[in-house]
Amino acid sequence: MQNKLIKWIDHRFPLTNFVKHELTGYPTPRNLSYWWNFGFLAGFVLVLQVVTGIFLAMHYKPDATLSFDSIQHIMRDVNYGWLLRYMHATGASAFFLVIYIHMARTLYYGSYRAPRELMWWTGQGLLLMLMATAFMGYLLPWGQMSFWGATVITNLFRATPYIGDQVVVWLRGDYTVGDATLTRFFALHYLFPFLIIGGVVVHLVALHTVKSSNPSGIDLAARDNIPFHPYFTSKDFYGLGLFLIVYCSFVFFFPDSMIEPANNIPANPMQTPTHIVPEWYFLPFYAILRSVPNMVGGVAAMGLSVMMFAFMPFLDRSRIPGGASNRPIVRIGFYLFLLNMLVLGYVGATPPTDQIILVGQVATLFYFGSFLLIPFISIAEERWLIKRGLPPEVEALIASEARGKIKLPFRRRSGDIK
Amino acid sequence: MRKFIVILMLYCFNSVVHAEDVRLGNIGVDASLPALERGADLLMNACHNCHSLKYVRYRDLSAFGFDKKKVDGWRGDQPPEAALIGLLADESAVQMFGKVPPDLSLMIKAREGGENYVYSYLIGYYITPEGLLSNHVFPETKMPDVLGVSGVTDPVQRTEIQGKAHDIVSFLAWAADPHQEERHRLGYYVMVYLLVLTALLFAVKNQIWSRLK
Ligand code: HEC
Repeated sequence: MQNKLIKWIDHRFPLTNFVKHELTGYPTPRNLSYWWNFGFLAGFVLVLQVVTGIFLAMHYKPDATLSFDSIQHIMRDVNYGWLLRYMHATGASAFFLVIYIHMARTLYYGSYRAPRELMWWTGQGLLLMLMATAFMGYLLPWGQMSFWGATVITNLFRATPYIGDQVVVWLRGDYTVGDATLTRFFALHYLFPFLIIGGVVVHLVALHTVKSSNPSGIDLAARDNIPFHPYFTSKDFYGLGLFLIVYCSFVFFFPDSMIEPANNIPANPMQTPTHIVPEWYFLPFYAILRSVPNMVGGVAAMGLSVMMFAFMPFLDRSRIPGGASNRPIVRIGFYLFLLNMLVLGYVGATPPTDQIILVGQVATLFYFGSFLLIPFISIAEERWLIKRGLPPEVEALIASEARGKIKLPFRRRSGDIK
Repeated sequence: MRKFIVILMLYCFNSVVHAEDVRLGNIGVDASLPALERGADLLMNACHNCHSLKYVRYRDLSAFGFDKKKVDGWRGDQPPEAALIGLLADESAVQMFGKVPPDLSLMIKAREGGENYVYSYLIGYYITPEGLLSNHVFPETKMPDVLGVSGVTDPVQRTEIQGKAHDIVSFLAWAADPHQEERHRLGYYVMVYLLVLTALLFAVKNQIWSRLK
């Protein structure tokens, strides 16, 4: 009976074929480390956010006079409403954590290089949509930080040339952040996750065209690939278990650690909080914004700082496989970049004093510098590495893969030694 | 190890954002029912005149297990669905203090430092050398010294007042997060479940991967 049904479907739709080629049998490099778990985790958190979000929306009221109360209604009266809300609020932080690790892995292993540029760029688009979704979602509880965060950030669009003021009014739906802003942010906060799902589909189609990168950085021959199921399903689910342990310890035991105290005070347009801070995942970019004394410059720097990642395929033209693992200079640069991110995060969270501003400016220069110096560093490093010879195990792997398959995409470049 | 790093990172981010302003050590709240009842009793007598707890209803108190007679006493002739609305009208409050006393339902969550802040605030009143009333944690506050700490020097009496403040704060902590106990209880089950599940998933994964090679 079941076979008959599947046959009937297969006649009309490539169900079995799809499952076999793209899910169970999908060839995956066997040497993937646990850092390759985070794409799956991001997908999981996306589903978690959509599901908890839909149930929250059944009880939430997007109305400036009702929304704060409706959150308390969810927290106190709705059955397990507190669980839904804490899962959703913690889930936003978890989403960024997972995505940032996913990006760090891509940067470390140079997985953005050919032929995976489109994966990297669709990922960049997904990051922007995630940021927009999180930003709009943060307005919905209508607390003090919601209100003033949205006021500060929408105000940045004044930097748009010529039509800045109109753009701000258009975004807010009013001259100030108010009921009109709240309702439109709610509508868009509900819409964007579905756009993200569409983006994820594109991201995955690209993935299944170019296949996963792997720590060696070399496209492995067929013999080093294993079917996704059961090997990576079991590995992904084990990783999911670890993730859930961390996530649930926050949801059940420290759920308020991600919620600013000021957001438990209803929005009050008459009273500015002493210290407006964004959520932790925006802090480094916020620090860059504040580091430029001029507003237009600050906004441009902040926008550029998020978009810098997209230039990586152009900036890093090194032909050394395996990313930072085989490139000592880039590896040091990678760790310094992460450290600098933490410095920027700290600066973004601290009230600006002269000292803090100076630290922020140095860190901002370092941030852009580490991108802009990559072309020079990577070429010099590549020459040095080729002259010195790659580590024997890498050479051996390259040789064995070359026998099993195509040649490495070693473009020739003037200045190469023979 | 990696899990540890993740936890560490989360805590770092966390302390970056909330590092400031925790006054006193952790006073800890007493979540036992008698302490909460004492706290509610004190609050209805000493604070309810001026402050509301608009997200707490009398029926929530009895549903949680507070003594029915006590709740009925506080409620008077209001229906059980009524919220704990303060007795002072907003207009008179503005006349007296220049502002409306803030709602206390979420007070513990709405201040940096939480219960430690509110506790220190309540017992932070003192008389300045110029003979004026002031407060250590909120010097310019408009609220009078309700518990009367500023005039008391006798250590026994001071301890008594601190005990009262502690009970009130415990009740306010409950009011700000009435599902906390339930959350923790469920949380322990979830954590145990996840630990067992993850250990099993790890074993399954190892078993499957051992087929390779
Ligand atoms: C006589 C009226 C009155 C009584 C009684 C009273 N309060 Fe207040 N309370 C106020 C006013 C007015 C403010 C606003 C103070 C300000 O912002 O300057 C306030 C503010 C507060 C705050 C917020 C402080 C802050 O950081 O903004 C807390 C907490 C508080 N009261 C707790 C209590 C507790 C607990 C009691 C009972 C023991 C109590 N109050 C009794 C009038 C009162």
